[in-house]
Amino acid sequence: MLENSVPLGNSANGYFIKTDRFKTTYISYNFYLPIEKEKAAGFALLPFILTTCSKEYPDFSKLNFKLNKLYSASLSASAEKVGDYQLLKIGISVIDDKYALDGEELILKSAKLLNSLVFEPLAENGAFYTTDVEREKRKAIEHIRGEIAEKRLYARRRLIEEMFKDDVYGIPKCGTEEQVAKITPESLFSAWQEMISRAALSVNVISSSLPQNVFDDVKSRLSLIDRSNAITVKTSSPTRPLYAAKRVKEYMDITQGKLVMGFSADIDENEKASAAFTVMCDIFGGGPYSRLFTNVREKQSLCYYCSSSVEKRKGYLIVDSGVEAKNAKKAESEILRQLEIMKNGNFTDFEFESSKISIINALNGYGDHQEAIDAWYTVKSSSKNMISPEDYAIQISKVDRQSVINAAKTVKLHTVFNLCPKEVK
Amino acid sequence: MEKCVFESEIGESYTLATLPNGLKVYICEKPQYTSAYAVFGTKYGSIDTRFSKNGGKLISVPEGIAHFLEHKLFESEYGDAFSKYAKTGAMANAFTTFDRTCYLFSCSDNFDENLDILLDFVQSPYFTKETVEKEQGIIAQEIKMYDDSPSFRVLFNMLSSMYINHSVKIDIAGTVESIAQIDSNLLYECYETFYNPSNMFICIAGNVDTRQVLKRIEESIKDRGTVAINRESFNEPEYIKQNYVEQKLPVLTPLFCFGYKQKISSPYRRLKSKVCVELLLEIICGEATPLYRRLMDEGLINDDFDFEYFTGRDYAAVIFSGESSNPKRVAEEIKKEIAHIREHGFDKKLFSAVKCASYGDAVRSFNSTEAIALSFTECAVCDYDLFDKLKLLKTVSYDDVLKRTDVFDDSLSVLSVISPLEDTV
Repeated sequence: MLENSVPLGNSANGYFIKTDRFKTTYISYNFYLPIEKEKAAGFALLPFILTTCSKEYPDFSKLNFKLNKLYSASLSASAEKVGDYQLLKIGISVIDDKYALDGEELILKSAKLLNSLVFEPLAENGAFYTTDVEREKRKAIEHIRGEIAEKRLYARRRLIEEMFKDDVYGIPKCGTEEQVAKITPESLFSAWQEMISRAALSVNVISSSLPQNVFDDVKSRLSLIDRSNAITVKTSSPTRPLYAAKRVKEYMDITQGKLVMGFSADIDENEKASAAFTVMCDIFGGGPYSRLFTNVREKQSLCYYCSSSVEKRKGYLIVDSGVEAKNAKKAESEILRQLEIMKNGNFTDFEFESSKISIINALNGYGDHQEAIDAWYTVKSSSKNMISPEDYAIQISKVDRQSVINAAKTVKLHTVFNLCPKEVK
Repeated sequence: MEKCVFESEIGESYTLATLPNGLKVYICEKPQYTSAYAVFGTKYGSIDTRFSKNGGKLISVPEGIAHFLEHKLFESEYGDAFSKYAKTGAMANAFTTFDRTCYLFSCSDNFDENLDILLDFVQSPYFTKETVEKEQGIIAQEIKMYDDSPSFRVLFNMLSSMYINHSVKIDIAGTVESIAQIDSNLLYECYETFYNPSNMFICIAGNVDTRQVLKRIEESIKDRGTVAINRESFNEPEYIKQNYVEQKLPVLTPLFCFGYKQKISSPYRRLKSKVCVELLLEIICGEATPLYRRLMDEGLINDDFDFEYFTGRDYAAVIFSGESSNPKRVAEEIKKEIAHIREHGFDKKLFSAVKCASYGDAVRSFNSTEAIALSFTECAVCDYDLFDKLKLLKTVSYDDVLKRTDVFDDSLSVLSVISPLEDTV
């Protein structure tokens, strides 16, 4: 699927993923910067302020009017953590020209619009405008405060904070409320300058044909910027195992508790080890055939959900579940018992095979989802190996039982976070 | 079997086949895709709690039983459907809404085998005292999870203040007390009534062969005789219970749902009405509008602000929702804007822009096999053609849309607020 990659300058590359499946073209700019405590909040605000106003469209009503006229060209903005890096994404999706009722060149116009939003922000004398900055700060703070309403997300975020207290990875992906409050129009402008000059950049284009000049336009912008200090993405520091697991409890006015358990894991970045880890995590707590689903939920009715996920770059695994307070202890020991079963290799052939076929099935379907293709190549472009989902599916098919057991053996309980209803206090 | 082929100028087509027993089958071929998405559904949801079969006695069943049945149908006498899917690698799931229950899978391989599993388990009910009791535990956990979800509560608090008799005000999963009354006999009764081919539909999109799929379906659908279902009318009065409701939960920023109950004269809305109301909502407070701008500038809304035309059998309402430090002000501003539009009309340029955007969104939805299959379920329940929306968006006029301000009646509006507890954490 990856048609070609085009160097765009120091630590910047364009990737064209050719596909005729979609009615739309998707273009994304992906900036990688190391997570730093004092800067994280400012960096995270950039995708949002850049997609609400620009020199050309100083007012977001006018910008949105323009997007409507481009047949609902849709801008996306996000800030995520990928290992020890912040990934700032700004993208646009637009229907192909042949569907426009009035023959407009939708793709070219959208590509140019995105380029101008990233490189020509609305700013003056080294600062963004105060009203725009204050609006985006308010939204960011409300977003951070809003997370508490979603207990599952909140509990996961709190676990990560506790697991990585002395590590940059513990910093929330959009920074803390206090850090957002400190952002000024000047500091945000410096953050933008740092982003365009220092970040590793990948520009992804997913379309049936490469829009004219799309990469050249980025290249000519970058040629005007001093990018001699641009970073390259390196291996992230691993999650260090603890001798004794840490336990944190919090109380809230809720009826159902949340039990979230974090584990350190020793994950080698090479494909083979990574594929074994994917399979291990899936047998443990992936689909409905997994150890956690069938035992903790189905056999013992201890919770409505209980599943595991893995972050390979940082080397950790999380199990999260919604359980009643009186069942929390029982659920925890059952989860740990299931992990021991993984380590001893006592999972069944049915679970092993089901897991592999399910992962392969999902990977082979990636090409049918434009945003999944974008997400896949965004992450892969920052690693050493630009493997396609289909080739990774082949790696998965080669995983054997012993490598799954070996992967499980590196998993160690690190931190347990328990969100409890107040009445059990 | 009756067959119709529908085509559109955006290069998509689909077949609608009606079997002699009344089952409707929708198939959209996407040969360039790897995967396929299939849904087997019934016009039976949480609001169907009082009904009679074949002119018999009217019966009342406990709230939440449609959703309970959805959970239970995955089990058969010889193992559950999930373990069968585990062998094929498909991703399988199910959901229950107010007016339908759908069982689905997506896969990039073994489509025929997966379809067989779907057809088999949905047609093979198996309930025992033990399996029903076990499910009561799991669903009770699910209900508690929703009880803790502010976004869920804010909606249902609004609906229960808006509706007097209609079951749409009841949580889809029911209550811990109502599901305790469910037994296997009641489940069989509901199954025999609503899981009759004449009340059901199959919706498929993706890499499939229509002829082969239809043959497979014809061979597998069991003849269950015809069932005449009579759903009791709700006799919903044209007034509301109360215009304001508030609940305190652990949140930091208040959440709101502000809705207008619509007086209706028929069970379902025509597609043209839906399209016009949706355009009108974009004109009132879409991102390119003066009202959106004002609310954002004054710090009254953030990116979570949303609106929808919420309609199904015997109910219709317009709902605005989001987070706000001052929900009452937001509701006031919306009311004022509606009054203004009713009196002065709206900007014709804005009208043409939002029409363009809606057309773009409709084209974009054909990217996703999931979106197509789920739109088919809407076609089956409401008797639409999948391409009607595209056609309507080309012809709908300014006056058509302006007329729809009739859905807003201030005396039928309800504001629901979730406000912070004093000591949230």
